[in-house]
Order: sequence, then C-alpha cells, then structure tokens
Amino acid sequence: MTAFLLNLATLAAISGILASTLNFIVGYAGIFSVAHAVFFGLGAYAGAQVALLLVPNPFLACLAAAAIAGGLSLCLALPALRVRGEYFVAASLGLQMVAATLFAELKPLTGGIGGLVGIPRPELLGNVVPVLPLALGALALILFLTARLQRGAFGRTLQSIRDADSAAEALGKNVNAAKTLAVVFACAGAGVAGALYALHLSFINVESFTLDQSIQIMAMVIIGGTGTLWGPLVGAVMLLSLPAVLTFIPFIPPTEVGAVQQIIYGLAMTLLMIFRPAGLVGDQSKGRSTS
Amino acid sequence: MTEVLLKSENLARAFGGVQAVAGVSLSLPAGQVTALVGPNGAGKTTTFNLITGNLRADSGTAHIRGQPIMGLKPWQVARLGVARSFQDLRLFTHMTVRENVLAATETAAWFWQPGGARARTAREQRAQAALEATALTDLADARAVDLAYAERKFLSMARILAAEADIWLLDEPASGLDLASRLRFGALLRAATARGVAICLIEHNLDVVAELSDRIAFLDQGRVLAEGDPQSILRDPALAAIYFGDRPQEAA
Amino acid sequence: MLFLQLLLNGLQVGAIYALTAAGFALIFGATKIFHVAHGTAFTIAGYVFLFAWRAGWPGWAGVAAAVLAAMAFGVAMERWVYRPIQRHEGSFFTVFVAAFGVGIVVQNVIGMIAGRGFATVDTPLSFSAEILPDVFVAPMLWIALATAGVLFVALTLFLTRHPAGVGLRALSQNPDLVRTYGLSSNGLSVLAFAIGSALAAPAAIITVMTTGLNEAIGHQVMLISIAATIVGGIGSLRGAALAGMMLGIAESLALQFVDTQWAEAVSFLVLFGFIIFRPSGIFGVVQTR
Repeated sequence: MTAFLLNLATLAAISGILASTLNFIVGYAGIFSVAHAVFFGLGAYAGAQVALLLVPNPFLACLAAAAIAGGLSLCLALPALRVRGEYFVAASLGLQMVAATLFAELKPLTGGIGGLVGIPRPELLGNVVPVLPLALGALALILFLTARLQRGAFGRTLQSIRDADSAAEALGKNVNAAKTLAVVFACAGAGVAGALYALHLSFINVESFTLDQSIQIMAMVIIGGTGTLWGPLVGAVMLLSLPAVLTFIPFIPPTEVGAVQQIIYGLAMTLLMIFRPAGLVGDQSKGRSTS
Repeated sequence: MTEVLLKSENLARAFGGVQAVAGVSLSLPAGQVTALVGPNGAGKTTTFNLITGNLRADSGTAHIRGQPIMGLKPWQVARLGVARSFQDLRLFTHMTVRENVLAATETAAWFWQPGGARARTAREQRAQAALEATALTDLADARAVDLAYAERKFLSMARILAAEADIWLLDEPASGLDLASRLRFGALLRAATARGVAICLIEHNLDVVAELSDRIAFLDQGRVLAEGDPQSILRDPALAAIYFGDRPQEAA
Repeated sequence: MLFLQLLLNGLQVGAIYALTAAGFALIFGATKIFHVAHGTAFTIAGYVFLFAWRAGWPGWAGVAAAVLAAMAFGVAMERWVYRPIQRHEGSFFTVFVAAFGVGIVVQNVIGMIAGRGFATVDTPLSFSAEILPDVFVAPMLWIALATAGVLFVALTLFLTRHPAGVGLRALSQNPDLVRTYGLSSNGLSVLAFAIGSALAAPAAIITVMTTGLNEAIGHQVMLISIAATIVGGIGSLRGAALAGMMLGIAESLALQFVDTQWAEAVSFLVLFGFIIFRPSGIFGVVQTR
C-alpha cells in the first residue's frame, strides 16, 4: 500500500510539473499547445540516455532533458510566432503526430516501439535515491518560478501579448522574443518531468508520449482551471487518482477501467466548458482569463 | 522653429492596384499637435502604420531625430520614443487597468526587467501618475473589458502616458467623447506638448481639430494636399469640398 | 506499376479525405465553429453501418442509418454543446476542449461496446481484381470516386441553386447579411451541421468496407479534416476537398519511398509547412488572425 501511494505521489508530482508548465503557456501566453507530451517525451529519452550511457545522476539527467526539450521547443515556437487560434492548435497537433512517429521509429535513440528498458535508478554520491523527493523538489521549484513569472512583469508581458499583440508590440515589447522564451521555459520544464519519469519507472516507450498524453495534460489544466497557480495541480492529482479510485468500484471490470476513466474526464471537459469554463479553481466571476 | 522629432519623406504604399499612400511627407515638431485630416480612405491610418513599421513602405524614408527608421520592427520604433493608439483601442482586455498601464512601462521581453528594485519603483510611480492624469485611479483594479467607453479611451491614453514616449501617434483618440471628456482629453494633450511631446492625431470632427491642433496636414488620396495652421486649412473652400465629398471634377 | 497502384490507392483514400474535409469546411465556413468532433461523426457512422451489416440489414438500410446517425450527432453537438457555450463565452478554445471531450467519450463508449481494434465489413465489392499486370483494383475504388463526385456535384448545386444553400454561403461571407434577408442563422447553423456531418457518413462506410476502422479513427479523421481545410484555405470548400484528395494521394505515393507508419506523418509535414509558410492555404486569402 505504501509503495502504491509513493508511486502515485511521484507520478502526481511529475504530472503537476507537466500541468503547471502547460498552464504557463496556455493560461498566460494564450499558446494552446496540444503537443506538450512531445517535450515530456524528449526529456524522458534524453534523461534515460544520460542514465544509461553516462551516469545515473538525476541532476545531470534533468539538465540534459531541459536542454534538449527546451532547445527543440523552437519547433513549437515557430508556428506560435506565425499563427494563432485554430491554426496553432492544428500545427501543434501536426507536431505531436510527427513526433510520435519519430519516437517509434528512431530506434537508436528511443528504442523504437519497445522503448528503453533497464534505466538505472538515480544515484547521488554513490547512493540510490528515490525519485519522489526529487520530483517534489522539482515541482516546488517549477511552481515557485511560474508563480514569480506569472505575477511579475513577464507574466504581464505574456498576457498583454495574448490580449492584443499589436498593442504590446507598439509599446516596445519584442513579442517574438517573449513568446519564444515562454515556450522554451515551459517545454524545458516538461523535459525535466520527462527525465524524472524515466528514472522513476526505469522503462519508457512511445505510449507515454502520444496525443492521448497531451490531451490528458491539457485536461488537467482545464479541469483545474487555466491561468491559476494551484488549479493545474488539483487537476493533475484528480485525474491521476481517478484510475485508483475506479479500481475500488466493484462492478467495473478491470479491463474497462482505462476506458471508464477516459469517459469520465472526457465528460468532465465537456461539461465544464459548458457550465463552468474557468475550471474548478478558476474565479468564475472573472470568467476565463483567455480569449 | 522648434526641433522636428519625426520626419517622413515621400512615404508610399500600394495594396494591389490601390495606391493607399502616395508620397506622404510629414514633419512632427516637438511641442505641437499636428492633425491628420482627410476623407475616409485618404491613407491616414496607413501612414501611421508605415511610420511604426506595422506595414512596409514601397518607397520613402522616415527619421526620428535624424535616425532612419525604415525597416525597423514596430517594437524597435516604439523604443525610439514612438507611442501610438489604435482606432479600435486594443486594450489588454482581460488585465486590470493598473496592469494595462504597468505593462506599458515594461518593455524588456526577458524574464525580468532591468534596473532592479529602484527602476521598478520608478515604473510603478509612472504608472500611478498616468492613472491619476487620466482619472482612472479609482478603477485601477477593474478589468479593461468592464470599463465604459470613455474610460477605455482614457485607458488607451494612460498607456501612452506611461510609455514615456515623446512622439505620439493617436488614431481618432477623441471620437465619441462627450464635451467634458474632450476637454479633459485636450488638457492631457496640452500638458504633453508643454513637455515637448510631438503629437500627431487623426480626427474626423473638424471642431475637435480646430480646438486641439496647432497644425493641420490635409490628406487626400494618399498625398498631403495642404499643410498649415488650422484657420487657413479649415477655411479653404476647395479642401472643404473634398472633405465633405463634393469632389471637383478634375480631381475625380 | 507500383506507382500506378499507389496512385489508385491514393485516389481512394483521397476521396474519403475529400468528403470528410468538405463536411468540416462547410461547418467551419458557415458557423465559424472549429468542429473537432467531426471525426466522431465519422466514427459513429462507420460503426452504425458495421452493426447494421452484422445484424443482417440490407445495404441501403445500413447506409441510411449511418447517414442519419451522423446527422443526428452533428445536430446534437450544435444544439447541446456549441450553442450553450457560444451563448455565454464562445472562445475558440472552450469550444475546442468541449468537442474534444465528446470525442474521447464516444471513442471509449464505442470501444466498450464494439471491442477495440480494427473491424471491417467484407463484401464482394472489396475484392481486388488484377486490371493490369500487378495492378489490383477493387470495385470499391470506383464506388468511392463516383460517390465523392456525385456528392460534390449535388453539394455545389445545393449551395448555388437552393435558397438555403445560398443562405449557407452567405453566412460564411457575411452573417449580418443573412439576418437582413430574414433567414434564421440558427436554422442555417443546424443545417450546416446536418449536411456537413452527413458527408462524413459515406466516407466512413467506404472506410469500413475497405481498410476497416477502429474506435480511435476519429482522431485521425479530425486531423486530416483540419489539415485539408487549412491547406486548402479556410473558407474554401472546393479547396478543402481538393486538398483532402491531394493529401490522400501524397500519403499513398510517399509509400514508394518510406514505410507505411510514415504515411500519416507526410500529411502533417505538409500541414506544418503550410502553416509556417503559407497560412492562408492554396485558395484562401491571408487571414492569420
């Protein structure tokens, strides 16, 4: 039971990082990416390869993951600078599909469909350390950073660009630089989550980095509430505990738990958008902070 | 003659076959309000867009204090001291009034602004001063989208005040304002010109133009037909005929 | 000969893409709703036909049931999901998420009822015959092309001749105009969803009878519809249909150079390229919003 809860807590912390970083670009910059799992995956593969080929040092793995995911996030920044709204969502969908194919096919780097197995446990100073404290530390750091950035001048810059990019530019803001920076920051954070994920499970494959995963992260953000600090975290914990809760309900056959879970969060997304578009934590009187 | 802060020469731009701006030369002297007047489609807003870099000019040049600005991006032009307002305002709708104005003082796109705590206090004071000057202090925590019409117009002006630019390009800033608001708006402009700001404004109401401007540039079909003091321009029957649509035969 | 075979396969895939993309483009043009649950209408139609077939219904009854199911789904989405959202909020992303949620629900419900994995309907029409040395063609190819052709002619006639069709076109160009002519934009919006969703049904039926479908095919259909609509140029129905056809052919021809798993990626690379270099699409006017 403790092992089960520890595992859940670790995954919740990792999902919390994913949801918070996605919320940063969705809720503040108005960049609606449905490709967040791509950068989660890039980080996971990068972290895993560092642990497999070099040393299982978690900090090195996270650093490499952040660098790779942040660097390649320019693929997402490029359409974000060119188009908005539906066009950008379509571009990020395209990126997600192409990336999933690449993950499945580039066997030397990703292990193909079979994935990477036997990723060593993280070690610090010769001792094996559990991933949970690392994940909690990373989550705390990410929450702190996003809170600082969101409430400060950078958050205002992103919101002003979201609301009226031409006016922001007319006030001297380098819109392209700010958007790129936001995307790189968020994707690097997703990369760190990926490295922690790989070290935690010691096995990864493309299944965890597909469109379904991107949608689940998006659902966490939306159910919790976009543009809020704690909303994404609440959403992450809720969606992750859902399968666990469902296994305790006797009349659902175990093979259908996954489907029932997806039905519940699909329904939640639709009903929330119709009746409570600011999410569970969001301030309803203010309406959604995005448009 | 006072210093000319912004000077454009022969700016031209065509869209498809339509010559929207056909060689506009314009000088904005410090401490004066220049009104751009002309019938719809004369190329007034396009001229603004060419100066600010929102549109690329086919030909022509523009300088700010002697520095060429053609080919610069809008944010680069803004950092040379140009602030503009838009006809449709383009407020940061989901941010509060104070955030709107603060955002105007923060130009760096980096994670933080340069200058540390002291610069931040200075920016906050500038924002506060802009709010006071536009009488928006009481509404500082309201969201822009919830403001009334006149308040939105003043918020647009507050952003420009806070931006600390000395060249203002205002696109119909006074349209739809009642008399009292217009007087307050006029006072804002006077206070700015007294500090040496060069203002260029687009305005359709000729009474407002007469009331606010020191000079008029009359645009028609993408070129400046006449330039001078308000009295002589506004009393010119030929210009009035063009403005009110009775175009003389030879110009049609 | 491989090239000819791939080209013929591509025509068949292209006809399917063209039909679904045209439906999506029609809905988007008339209502400005980015109907991401369009793929779900496709899935529902496909499975309704599949069940009707397995239950021993005659073919025409299965087709009719599938078309009706798709239309009912589209109209239900308009009435109970999109309209309430647009009444209070209407941001594109709210609409997107709500529709996506519906897609997830339907996909899993179908998975639970029908079982997961590919299902097909085998008819004599699906059997290939060698028409040239090494070139195999099933009668379904001609049926697919004929269906697409006939439906496009019918749709074009409807949009240009029938008052309601003219109203739909007007709605996509100038919503205010429609109101002044006394046409109800609500009614037209329902009509757009009904016709647009109905167009997905024949495509779904052809898919069941050839490659087969699974419960998750809605994603792919939605993505292709979006890709074709953007590549063709938003607002252009003909553009969307042509782009759908082109994407189908491109995916198929690409198999000459790459393995099957890359076929879909080809479409998305094309989409990505268009979004970055020519967001207005082939036939569209520049409108990057």
